[in-house]
Amino acid sequence: MSWHVDDRVWEAYVGGRLDSAAEASVDTHVAGCTDCRAAARGYVPSATAAVVWAGVRETITAPRSPAPLRALQRLGVRGDDLVVVSAADSLLVPWAVAVGFAVACACLVGLAGLSPVNQDAAFLALAPLVPVLAVVASYDAFDPLREVVAPTPYSKLRLALLRATASLAVALPATAAIGLVVPGMDDLAFVWLAPSLGLTLGALVLLTWWEAPVAGALVTSLWVSAVVVARTSGTVDALTAPPVQVAFAATGVVLAAALVLRTSTLRLQGGDL
Amino acid sequence: MSATAALDGVSKKYGRATAVQPTTLELRAGVVGLLGPNGAGKTTMLRLLSTALPPTKGRIMVTGFDVTESHANRVEARRRLGYCPQEVTFPRGMTAFGFLDYVAVLKEWKATGARHAEVRRVLDLVDLGERATMKVSRLSGGQRRRLAIAQSLLGTPDLLILDEPTTGLDPEQRASLRSLLSDLAGTVLISTHQTEDVSTLCDRVLVIDAGAIRFDGTVPELLGTAAGRVHLGPTAAVGAVQTWKTGTGLVRSVGGQPAPDSCVVDPSVEDAYLLLRSQERTRQGVT
Repeated sequence: MSWHVDDRVWEAYVGGRLDSAAEASVDTHVAGCTDCRAAARGYVPSATAAVVWAGVRETITAPRSPAPLRALQRLGVRGDDLVVVSAADSLLVPWAVAVGFAVACACLVGLAGLSPVNQDAAFLALAPLVPVLAVVASYDAFDPLREVVAPTPYSKLRLALLRATASLAVALPATAAIGLVVPGMDDLAFVWLAPSLGLTLGALVLLTWWEAPVAGALVTSLWVSAVVVARTSGTVDALTAPPVQVAFAATGVVLAAALVLRTSTLRLQGGDL
Repeated sequence: MSATAALDGVSKKYGRATAVQPTTLELRAGVVGLLGPNGAGKTTMLRLLSTALPPTKGRIMVTGFDVTESHANRVEARRRLGYCPQEVTFPRGMTAFGFLDYVAVLKEWKATGARHAEVRRVLDLVDLGERATMKVSRLSGGQRRRLAIAQSLLGTPDLLILDEPTTGLDPEQRASLRSLLSDLAGTVLISTHQTEDVSTLCDRVLVIDAGAIRFDGTVPELLGTAAGRVHLGPTAAVGAVQTWKTGTGLVRSVGGQPAPDSCVVDPSVEDAYLLLRSQERTRQGVT
């Protein structure tokens, strides 16, 4: 270097008295001059340096959220909730289950060459179970960090519901899209939602008694049996009739109340609440 | 001084197998070592105290709360304890900072600034401050172990429960961890296979075997059980529990009838542990 920043310039720089061109010149020079970088330390109050370094460390160490999560934060979702949702591995299984099952559902009803009546039955048997399986898979029984998570005070129900919400954000549109895209299914595209609500809440209530795989299997067996019985006795229209849909929704409300009641007193089998 | 944690007639069964026999004990401030062979019930005991596992019978008090009584009590106790399991499966793709940030949220650190400051504090405690932005998958085994320990230190818990904390650490890291644990103010319960950890760190030793506490006392008291029963001589003692040739060419014998010309030597924690284990096997009729 042919020149170095002298005392007079340093004092003006630190005091903010340099014009923008001179300040930029000092910045550029200091970036490439080891001697001046060392000299700069003498002009910066240690308290200021500590604050600046703490800020730098905060910025570079804190993980940067993916764009969708930053968008959610701007919409008012709490930062700590986003940390939970962004713990990617905990969502990997539920998302895989939701999407995988939805795709399997589409393949079965769309490609298996079923008659229209059986196609309806197959769709109605599988579609409401997509959210159920996503929620069950969200539960911490499948969490690789279960041993670490279990003895924390964080509500395991809240954890499961946050993950389930993130899973359902994938599962519900995927399943609805299948109903709309597969030929002949458009009349069933949304009628699975009401039974799905009841089944999902039912699975959560069962989680207060049994482990996640057992609760999932019980709900799945119950629903598939109901559809098989309906199909055996004719068509599955009985399950899609408006009064039955209202009954499913009402059952969902009752199960939601049961869930609140159970979770206020007991521990979930997959991990304490 | 009141107990930080207490078991009152606590037992745990998995099906018909008994992992922990009815046990009553209290833990107070200081470092307590839980020593025992594989399958003795150490991990089950720690998981019971960490509230991760409900007992089959009995009452567990943690930081003044009966965790077997209600969910609310468990939550209160969990706010005051830290637990590091024997093995932690880290999520792929998470950084060291991201992992601790996640666990800090689960420990109810809601304000981002304070939470991040706490995460950096525990990262520094385990000498991982410079690795904060590294993916966990790129950390070494020892660094991952220290990261697992770091999550248990979040919030400076009153009761810290560590399952085999020194496994996978090199001697320097082990010494560093001992220094860290000895500086903590609350109650630290560690399970370990390393008798060296017990002798250098613990104020109190619990020896567990077949789900029951076989010894409960200080390190000098444990050493006292082996006093006069460890010999160094030209040949092995008859009926010794363990013998091995030392670097000097003399044979060290733990227990048994000493050979002529043998001399008594100071026992180590390992000697005392081996003798306790031998007594237990004899009691159970195992040869």
